[in-house]
Amino acid sequence: MSTVSEQMTRPRLVLGEQTYHTITEAISKIVEEKTPREWYIAFGITGGMTVMLGAMLAYLVMTGIGVWGNNIPVGWAWDITNFVFWIGIGHAGTLISAILYLFRQKWRTSINRAAEAMTLFAVACAGIYPLFHVGRVWVAWWLFPLPYSQGMWPNFRSPLLWDVFAVSTYGTVSLLFWYVGLIPDLATLRDRAKSKIKKFLYGVFSLGWRGSVRHWRHYEIAYLLLAGLSTPLVLSVHSVVSFDFAVSILPGWHTTIFPPYFVAGAIFSGFAMVMTLMLLARWAYKLENFVTRVHLDNMCKIMLATGTIVGYAYATEFFIAWYSANKYEQFTFMNRAFGPYAWAYWIMISCNVISPQIFWFKKMRENVVVMFIVSIFINIGMWFERFVIIVTSLHRDFLPSSWSYFKATYVDICTFIGSFGLFLTLFLLFTRFLPIIAIAEVKGVLAHELHQHGHGAAGSHGGKH
Amino acid sequence: MAEKFRLEEQMVQRMRTPLVWSAVVGWIGCFIGYVIDAKQFHFSYLVSIIYFLSICLGALFFVMIQYVCTAGWSVVVRRIAETVMRNIDVCAVLFIPVLIGIPHLYHWVHPEPNDIILQKKAGYLNIKFFVARAVVYFGIWVLISRAIYKHSIAQDEDGKAEHNRRSMKWSAPGILLLFLSGSLAAFDWLMSLDPHWYSTIFGVYFFSGSAVAFVALLILFSMYLRKRGVLSKEITHEHYHDLGKLLFAFTVFWAYIAFSQYFLIWYANLPEETGWYLHRQEGSWLWVSLLIVFGHFLFPFLALISRIAKRNLKFLSFMAMWMMVMHYVDIYWIVMPTLSHHGVHVHWLDVAALLAVMGTLGVVFVSRLGKNAIVPIKDPFLSESLHFENV
Amino acid sequence: MGEIYGALAMFDTPEQIVEAARRVRERGYVRFDCHTPFPVHGLEAAMGLTRSKLPFLVLGGGAMGVLAAILLQWWTGAVDYPLLIGGKPYFAMEFATPVTFELMVLFSAFTSVFGMLALNGLPMLYHPLFNAEIFARVTDDKFFISIEAIDPRFDRGHTVEFLRSLGASEVVLVEE
Repeated sequence: MSTVSEQMTRPRLVLGEQTYHTITEAISKIVEEKTPREWYIAFGITGGMTVMLGAMLAYLVMTGIGVWGNNIPVGWAWDITNFVFWIGIGHAGTLISAILYLFRQKWRTSINRAAEAMTLFAVACAGIYPLFHVGRVWVAWWLFPLPYSQGMWPNFRSPLLWDVFAVSTYGTVSLLFWYVGLIPDLATLRDRAKSKIKKFLYGVFSLGWRGSVRHWRHYEIAYLLLAGLSTPLVLSVHSVVSFDFAVSILPGWHTTIFPPYFVAGAIFSGFAMVMTLMLLARWAYKLENFVTRVHLDNMCKIMLATGTIVGYAYATEFFIAWYSANKYEQFTFMNRAFGPYAWAYWIMISCNVISPQIFWFKKMRENVVVMFIVSIFINIGMWFERFVIIVTSLHRDFLPSSWSYFKATYVDICTFIGSFGLFLTLFLLFTRFLPIIAIAEVKGVLAHELHQHGHGAAGSHGGKH
Repeated sequence: MAEKFRLEEQMVQRMRTPLVWSAVVGWIGCFIGYVIDAKQFHFSYLVSIIYFLSICLGALFFVMIQYVCTAGWSVVVRRIAETVMRNIDVCAVLFIPVLIGIPHLYHWVHPEPNDIILQKKAGYLNIKFFVARAVVYFGIWVLISRAIYKHSIAQDEDGKAEHNRRSMKWSAPGILLLFLSGSLAAFDWLMSLDPHWYSTIFGVYFFSGSAVAFVALLILFSMYLRKRGVLSKEITHEHYHDLGKLLFAFTVFWAYIAFSQYFLIWYANLPEETGWYLHRQEGSWLWVSLLIVFGHFLFPFLALISRIAKRNLKFLSFMAMWMMVMHYVDIYWIVMPTLSHHGVHVHWLDVAALLAVMGTLGVVFVSRLGKNAIVPIKDPFLSESLHFENV
Repeated sequence: MGEIYGALAMFDTPEQIVEAARRVRERGYVRFDCHTPFPVHGLEAAMGLTRSKLPFLVLGGGAMGVLAAILLQWWTGAVDYPLLIGGKPYFAMEFATPVTFELMVLFSAFTSVFGMLALNGLPMLYHPLFNAEIFARVTDDKFFISIEAIDPRFDRGHTVEFLRSLGASEVVLVEE
């Protein structure tokens, strides 16, 4: 081939002088080391928040839904906002794992494990809200099509029931996907475990994995299939969530772009949360060699892209509301932008559409502080997006005499903060007991890079010390 | 190297001849048709030009995505895609008859005097603004596609990786611009055929169909070259497998978008929205609607789901052909109920318009393809593309 | 020494094990396996393994999911307890699609995971190979080939010698 005067090469994804052994060491060490004091402090704080969540929910169950600020016409408020917020955050986890896997984006390996864990914990947090909003939480099992004495079945024409199916399927499949990915790494921890109890527990959960190629053969296909299934699943789950609103006839809720718009928003918010958490974990556990600038750069680009798609959806909604020449549609959108909740609307626009635009500049995609701040902005903005959609469409309904202004109660606020506590507690437990980076997969990437860069048989001169 | 990847003059000739005939016959037909039945001509022509334009826009989208993701696997087919996308300028010229036909095509030009809704929309739906917007849309597309094409061709000479970076710089905002302008174009040219109806997802619907049709075309054309011994070693089963996956994925995505639109309107059951679908269930249109459900989704979904199907080149070409036909049916189904409300009315002008547009675009496409190497020979990722394998 | 399970050879790099696996297979061994810390490209082909049949099982699982979902929604809504709600039909594919899709995915995912475990014979918490001390590194940085004693070509001395000749850094006999 004729000479290529200037080379353009793939950046390396695993940095430092790594061997397979040093990867095992670096990642297992986090789990094996003595629990750092900071962890206990953090756990204490988040644990306290979780206790607060429990207290708030107990109060809610004992007293009634009225302890939340919801009241006609705003029948849905923070509860559903938080539900959609948490589900959305969960989606980036699956997305990073599944879609990037299908697209052969090797950079995913460093972040997919943590992202999948995040998905599970976010789904757990999300589930709380609709579960407790049903009122009599002890009969929540009526949501499932189980035969019981009244002889009735759940109403399959209701989008809320589709939600039950979508979210529980999503939780289950995410758990399976995460667990299947963990099996080889659990085996690594098993083989390194010093104490009997650890060896037993990691041993049981790694199912006796012995790295057999006859097993890898089915394992890899199973993983690929799960990735293939999870991808449309993510789309469907948030589409179903959007159906909760869009099948109604309420202006501001009923619009055909809702399904893909919600999906893009979910990816957007989820990536922001992954970014926030990974930047913290990278800093706390010194993972710069695994979560490299390339990873961060790619994540910034995805946030820019999805943020812009969300902006596209806002613009389309607004334009079509005008184009429809339907005065109720037009009123809803004008009311959103300039009515009593204008402050929420403009927070949403500034955080979601404007703030990620900074990532057009390469300098900004290299600045960890900027990334962290923007990721926080997006987390806030995406919460407001759901709030704006839900509350502003409801608070001025077709009957002006019932117009009102929603105010959150302290129970609303403390429950929401508490759900962060639950989320973070689960995440802390995860970083303590499970490998936060997919060891086997990173080794696969390293093997590929050694092969590519002509190091050939660099194998493992690390040896066991 | 450069010579090896250039189409032989003889082959270009052989491809060109039938296309020239198609154009000549098509244009004569169109002209006669225009004289006999101008309204029918304009509708038939609109279907054709939108059909081919959507494929070119699909190509533009595909190429920009490849640059933004610095994709390696697709480099070997990228020049074909780039040449398709480059043809947007021809589409711009071919779009003139649509502008001439505005009074025939669009009801909003002469609304009933008591139609308050259309009066409110007159600020947007009027001929001057409509034409101005069309000029802007084409301006954007031609600008981007020319710039990227130019860089790709220049790289064949100097091999500088700088061209990839420049194309990437064009592509990132380019995708955004394409989505905005393309959606508005879909609203203008297709949605406003029924000016009372509106759907926010319509732009996405248009793009998802375009992507399906373009990937199908890419598969078909690569296969055509393969039959004639061009790029038969370079575009391997692995590439076809990947293109097959893309065809499958876009088909499913199209179905997702199509379902979302239909389902939300079905469920909410608001009279101002359901009319559009009701027209498409009237008389024989119902059969076309069902054909789209089964032919544009269920059949290809089941047919392409397995790995074996995607790696069987004969079968894959058949499916690509099928999807190209289905995309035509889809566009036809969007446009034609405006003309013939009570049932499908296939007209010979549909064929003439198709031949005219296809022939014209094809001739330019083939000669552009013949002028340059048929793969980006000095792209830094070409070797990655040549050696790539599916896991 | 008790019953022998087989011989276990340790290799240092993926390239070595691919080559070694090919040679073992060429020698005519059938009851052998490779063990690696991560999936090694080209090893399955070198061992002469065919592609997993798992996708066909999963296709079946997905079809079951679709069927189950449609029957469930049709039977509960239109047969067992028909109730008119919101002017919607008792059953229609339109509103049945979301749940049908979810159950298709759920059934397929269960089939993938449990099918994979079943095909692999997992969980199997005890395995003779775990008796070998060097085998602890299979989940770290070493690549292994095991040849079982029940293989017709297995011969204590010859097999060990043969594995050494392939470049193994260590070869041990594993007890049952």
